[in-house]
Amino acid sequence: MRPAVVTTVLGLTLAVAAPTTWALTRPEATAGAPVEQALGAPPSPATPPSAAPEAPLVVARPAAPAVLEQGAAPVRLAVPARGVDAAVDPVGVEEDGQMALPADVDRVGWYRFGPAPGDDGSAVLAGHVDDREQGLGAMAPLRDAAAGDEVLLTDAAGTGTRWRVVSRELLQKQVLPLDLLFAREGPPRLTLITCGGPFLPEFGSYRDNVVVVAEPVR
Amino acid sequence: MSTIRTSFRVAGAVGAVGTLVLIATPATAADTATVSVLHAVPDTPVDVYANGERLIDDFQPGTLTDPLQLPAGSYDLALFPADAADGSGTPLLSANGVAVPAGANATVVAHLTADGQPALTPFVNDVSAVPAGQARVTVRHTAAAPAVDVRAGGAVVVPGLENPDEASLTVPAGTVSADVVVAGTDTVAIGPADLALAEGTTNIVYAWGAEGGYQLAVQTISGGHSAPSGVPGGSAGLVDDGALPAPVAALSVIGLVAAGAGALRLARSRG
Repeated sequence: MRPAVVTTVLGLTLAVAAPTTWALTRPEATAGAPVEQALGAPPSPATPPSAAPEAPLVVARPAAPAVLEQGAAPVRLAVPARGVDAAVDPVGVEEDGQMALPADVDRVGWYRFGPAPGDDGSAVLAGHVDDREQGLGAMAPLRDAAAGDEVLLTDAAGTGTRWRVVSRELLQKQVLPLDLLFAREGPPRLTLITCGGPFLPEFGSYRDNVVVVAEPVR
Repeated sequence: MSTIRTSFRVAGAVGAVGTLVLIATPATAADTATVSVLHAVPDTPVDVYANGERLIDDFQPGTLTDPLQLPAGSYDLALFPADAADGSGTPLLSANGVAVPAGANATVVAHLTADGQPALTPFVNDVSAVPAGQARVTVRHTAAAPAVDVRAGGAVVVPGLENPDEASLTVPAGTVSADVVVAGTDTVAIGPADLALAEGTTNIVYAWGAEGGYQLAVQTISGGHSAPSGVPGGSAGLVDDGALPAPVAALSVIGLVAAGAGALRLARSRG
């Protein structure tokens, strides 16, 4: 066989194989169950039928101003299999209504208005995937999280809890099921969120959110 | 205010009977209404009767019932002294034909009017969702007192509130120090008291009582929260999934160039 033929065949092979191999070895966009399934359907407002209309059981309580009770705030998040280990700060909302995130990409924000981890509903921890000056964020490896990965949380009292990843999905920000991700009812879930998918330079942000849902391990 | 209220009172043996209408928030498909009852008449434990049946036994001043799910309809309400044998005779207070529309969330308050007469006032509670990070405060003047100013952290937030009016504010969630002063003065009538305003809740604060014993009562209704509008999360494009990475693209181009060069040589050698 002539060298020219070999060069042509090898060249074409390389031209096709390089992008194909790249595409095939990319992490799957999802792992485990879909996020909506892992978080459960949105709870419908309960309208318990009243018992005997004439004489329901009535409980009266003192109406003096009371003190606010708060669940234990998480202070550290670790996903050992992915090399994630980050400090957690309580966060709220930005002026524009989006969830606030720590400016330091090495730190993770816990949505303090939602459930504390372990309480009913979806406790949300989120962090920047990257930053122009600071580079990759603590949660960047979440894009490779797999079902079964262990998640470790430590709360302010030093108590550790263990969780297991059941779902990872890339969800477009435009159609994010926010009421589900931030649900305050339903079984306890840990929802980890960062950015992913295509980067849109014209907006300076990513198109998608990487959403990882974990269940408590007893 | 979207609320229209009418208060009726019965003093002594004079029985005033009228119709109280709760103007509901848009009714839902449910055929029940959520009704709470607050007792804000000082020093007078009562039994509450609805349509002739005892609804609340030995109801103490300063207490609030848990929300009751009542079938929508019309209710005759009557309050008797707590030691009365049954619901017959002359009530302390009554209101007949209180319309409770399906889907409404209401609080019926037994309280004193500005001049100290007992009254029953139904309020419709605004329990619509507030933006993420916020809480709703509704203040209601149900005390035997003239107009008041409600202050938070020393600043007047609700000026000139009169019995039995209300005012609502949406504020950032958190704890505020609130007090109530005689309107236009710095004469503190109630407080200051710390009010814990949990995010996504409606907090209804009642100023109640009479001279010498003014107090605050708080009714908290949860479930008015909203989710944040999104989660930001990156600005550098370091983990961009959209485009072919430059090294891979370069490899592909090298392959194409090699193939092109090979094909060219092939064509020349044949020609």
